[in-house]
Amino acid sequence: MVFSWLHFAIILFLLGGLGFAIGPLMASKLLSHKIKDELLYTSYECGMVPHGDAWGKFGINYYFYALIFLAFDVDVLYLFPVAVFYPQAPGIVPFIDVLIFVGILGAAVVYFLRKGVFTWPRKVHIQ
Amino acid sequence: MSGVEWTFIKIVIGMLLILGFIAFNAILLGYGERKISGFIQGRLGPYAVGPHGSLQMMVDMVKLMTKQIITPKKADGFLFWTAPILSFMSVPVLFMVIPFSPSFTVINSGLGIVIILAFSGLNVLALCIGGLGSNNKWSLLGAARAVSQFIAFEVPILLVVLSITLMTGTLSLSEIISKQGGFPWQWNIVLQPIAFVIMFVASLAEMNRVPFDLPEGESELTAGYSTEYGGMGFGLFVLAEYTHIVVASSVITTLFLGGWKGPVFSGIWWFLLKMYILCFIILWIRWAFPRVRFDQLLNLSWKYLIPAGIFNLLATALLVKLF
Repeated sequence: MVFSWLHFAIILFLLGGLGFAIGPLMASKLLSHKIKDELLYTSYECGMVPHGDAWGKFGINYYFYALIFLAFDVDVLYLFPVAVFYPQAPGIVPFIDVLIFVGILGAAVVYFLRKGVFTWPRKVHIQ
Repeated sequence: MSGVEWTFIKIVIGMLLILGFIAFNAILLGYGERKISGFIQGRLGPYAVGPHGSLQMMVDMVKLMTKQIITPKKADGFLFWTAPILSFMSVPVLFMVIPFSPSFTVINSGLGIVIILAFSGLNVLALCIGGLGSNNKWSLLGAARAVSQFIAFEVPILLVVLSITLMTGTLSLSEIISKQGGFPWQWNIVLQPIAFVIMFVASLAEMNRVPFDLPEGESELTAGYSTEYGGMGFGLFVLAEYTHIVVASSVITTLFLGGWKGPVFSGIWWFLLKMYILCFIILWIRWAFPRVRFDQLLNLSWKYLIPAGIFNLLATALLVKLF
């Protein structure tokens, strides 16, 4: 593996951040008082005794957004190398290439809009 | 002294300075936020400790450190404590590539903006882990919101950065600054006004700041992902949040406002001046706007910011080829 100052600096900075985060936690461990009360260690649920577990099923009606994001993010990522060399590329052909690529992305947004992904179902009020 | 040793010493000194800068900014912004909110709401804000309450944050730090560390019995201890540490750990790396001035740059990387985009993503992972590991319903809902909000607003930011890259042909932050001039009409904000607005709004949303602080909306979710955290665990989340404000202001300053260049005496003071003005605006917005609803928040990104970003990208590509 080739040594690079950038990699070294990233690792060093991550370790520095780790130390900066753990230090106060350790200080807190040493300085704080230690009360052992049963109720202190229950989950917070507005003062009630917690009802059941949080690790169950619950409906996220925005999981669709996550799927669209995955497609978008990867597509946009491919554009970064293109963008770096774009100003030096001669002629109008690079623009047409970018237009086709981004145009398909834009068409995806229009498609999802028409399919109703961005309109949330209204809550039904029972009289 | 040989070049290798010098680079090593430079990186270590840079790291120490940046850690100090982070701590200083957390204190400054924490105090500033309480004072500004006080003045906006016709109160005094903190005034008891020190002149005009300026030592209040020191006292608060002692308070946070002497609070008992509590891991809820139902929570997953490992995930629960990984979250605040991970949330703060990624923050110093973000400052690594920011060119404060020609001489105050730790590493002048050709991949600057990509590193910032990559490592700012770790924060949302931390929020997700923290919310999931707490085993609390408020936390879980807050974490789910944090993730969907982050991914919604990541795309417009990428599109905006792409527009700037298309124009300048580089990913290095110092080169982006070097292509701008000292006077306001030579900054990228004049060439890319739509991009600036998108970047500012999307950055606010990525930092979970009001009006987009749905993940910790206290009137709906108690405190969102940080419900179970107290003392220093909560302190680390707040520290990371304040530092993200500074990072976002620095990135916007670099990309759009000419960085360290000014009409006279270009240098680090211009960078800090522009950065702190943006920080002030971000703090100000918190007390001036109400919170939006969650579907409005997601649709703001997908219906308005992303189409506007795509349009801006294509317009930039066309104009770069025409001129």
